[in-house]
Amino acid sequence: MTLNYSSKYWDDISEGDKLSKTSMHVPFEKVILDAAATQDYFPGHHNPEYARGQGQRDVYLNTMAIEGFIDRLATDWAGPHAFIRQRKMQMRASIYAGDTMSGEGQVEKCYEDEAGRALVDISLTISTHEGPRVPASLTLEIPRKPA
Amino acid sequence: MAKSGAKAQMKDPFPLTFGTYQDALKLVGKQGDCTIAEFSVTWEMIKVYCSLTEDGNPSYWDKDYADKQWGGIIAPPGLLLAWCMPLQWHPEKELKPYFIALRVPLPGDTIINTATTTEFHRQLFLGDRVSVQDKLIQISEEKDTRLGVGHFLTTEAEFKNQKDELVAVQTNNLFRYKVHA
Repeated sequence: MTLNYSSKYWDDISEGDKLSKTSMHVPFEKVILDAAATQDYFPGHHNPEYARGQGQRDVYLNTMAIEGFIDRLATDWAGPHAFIRQRKMQMRASIYAGDTMSGEGQVEKCYEDEAGRALVDISLTISTHEGPRVPASLTLEIPRKPA
Repeated sequence: MAKSGAKAQMKDPFPLTFGTYQDALKLVGKQGDCTIAEFSVTWEMIKVYCSLTEDGNPSYWDKDYADKQWGGIIAPPGLLLAWCMPLQWHPEKELKPYFIALRVPLPGDTIINTATTTEFHRQLFLGDRVSVQDKLIQISEEKDTRLGVGHFLTTEAEFKNQKDELVAVQTNNLFRYKVHA
């Protein structure tokens, strides 16, 4: 298999660096795929009538789907050698069937922890046409440039 | 057939435990059962999840790359909870939510997840079997929000692999509520 990817070393990353903006359309079928892929059959993720009864506009993505999209933004940017050490996210509003979600982010901090690990903190926002939905932050461990 | 109202729909497809806030407070600090995941980490589930998130990270798809970088294909971190979800039918086990947050007695008839923080300690590899044990940390007083009236539940879950090594610790906030009348 030859997948295209590029990898950044920790030494090449600076505070303020921007992650490329990434979008993904979420048709109804993708919300159903989400329920199946994550074995999460909570009805808000596949039953529109239940979702509306919850005060939602339609069926919506679960936390695991949004986590995967956030992580993908980070590893598409840093490269597949990045290890996600921590992810924080708040679901302030839902992402519904029919929406297009897009993510943007930037580097907040590059540092070494007490164990000597090379870390990068990133802040991200996942939005739809209705505005920001999910603010998130990640700590990535990224390899140093080989000497 | 008459169309059933939203209220009737709520309880039916997703059973929760009902009770008062005082009943719920008695469970604060309690640990849930330690559950060994039904699903071992498989490449098939990884591929299905990556097809959802449209993630072409070679750590999940390319064995040669993953062997060199990690020592084998790894699981996307976002799948952590999925390994521990219950089967929808089992010949011996009754279908019940594995997570303590879904078994807390409260008046709200529906739930929504509001915030999650996860610390990852090590990767999961093909064939790994996760176990999880969670604990109810906190229940808020009644809050009136855009979606409805209810309580926020904070839980903390520890995920380990089959060697009893810590894989991740997840703190989750969930809102258990009734929609505004």
